[in-house]
Amino acid sequence: MKPLSSITADMADDVLFEFLHMEIVAHVYKEHATREDIDKERVTCVSTLELMGFRVGQGLIERFTKDCPTFKDDLDVMKFLCKDFWSTIFRKQIDNLRTNHQGTYVLQDNKFALLTQLSSGKQYLEEAPKYLAFSCGLIRGALSNLGLESVVTAEVSLMPSCKFQVVIQKL
Amino acid sequence: MIERMTVHNLYIFDRNGSCLHYSEWNRKKQAGISKEEEFKLMYGMLFSIRSFISKMSPLDMKDGFLAFQTSRYKLHYYETPTGIKLVLNTDLGVPNCRDTLQQIYSTLYVEYIVRNPLCVLGESLQSDLFSSKLDSFIRALPFFSVRAA
Repeated sequence: MKPLSSITADMADDVLFEFLHMEIVAHVYKEHATREDIDKERVTCVSTLELMGFRVGQGLIERFTKDCPTFKDDLDVMKFLCKDFWSTIFRKQIDNLRTNHQGTYVLQDNKFALLTQLSSGKQYLEEAPKYLAFSCGLIRGALSNLGLESVVTAEVSLMPSCKFQVVIQKL
Repeated sequence: MIERMTVHNLYIFDRNGSCLHYSEWNRKKQAGISKEEEFKLMYGMLFSIRSFISKMSPLDMKDGFLAFQTSRYKLHYYETPTGIKLVLNTDLGVPNCRDTLQQIYSTLYVEYIVRNPLCVLGESLQSDLFSSKLDSFIRALPFFSVRAA
């Protein structure tokens, strides 16, 4: 049985961000709730959250890679994202990375940290995208500061597993 | 006669008296009133008993109300510092359940309800994940065994 002090030291980090993230999402949706158009409201909320994640992702990646050598190629960058970046933020790595070798990558997380407490199946599925927007921004921000412009979307069909799709924009 | 132990049902109330959750596993007799009335009755009883023992206790209070028993069942009670009240009805063979109830609170309620952004505090609990985890937890208890019909 771990002594209480070490349990709280392990737990405190994760839970602080989780609760803050929950509140951010709730706050953004409440702020925009006055509009009548539900779809437009959702788009605005999702992009607000994504932009927040973008700025955070940019900052985080600077911090994480300050002692790393430069990356060989895009695939190397994506692997770094899936392993080091993801495990520092979400305490686990991406479970599956697929690519068509033409700039499109799919990152699959079978137990995404921000979804595990919601449900283990189909319940709350329509609400899940709200809790993925910030993380999409995280990925896009991280890539942007490494020199890669991208479009990041997320899809979820069975919680807590979800997929992030990254399409690198070639100039 | 084989001694079998079992869990009958579980109630969870919040600090305002709303019943957040109710599950039953082995209840042979219903109360004969609507569920809403039953929850109010249960909460009213808990409220009265707690106030009674704090007044009438001949010694200083330590943990407060723990349990009561009849000749057929035992009612176990646990209240958290945040005012969440858990009530578990089991049969007489079950010893003190305080740790079990405390575990239900910390590993199930806090994990799957408090950390779920879509569960509004104060409303009845809708999360399927919570219900299924609670069900597995109760069924895995050493003193749970489904009586033969």
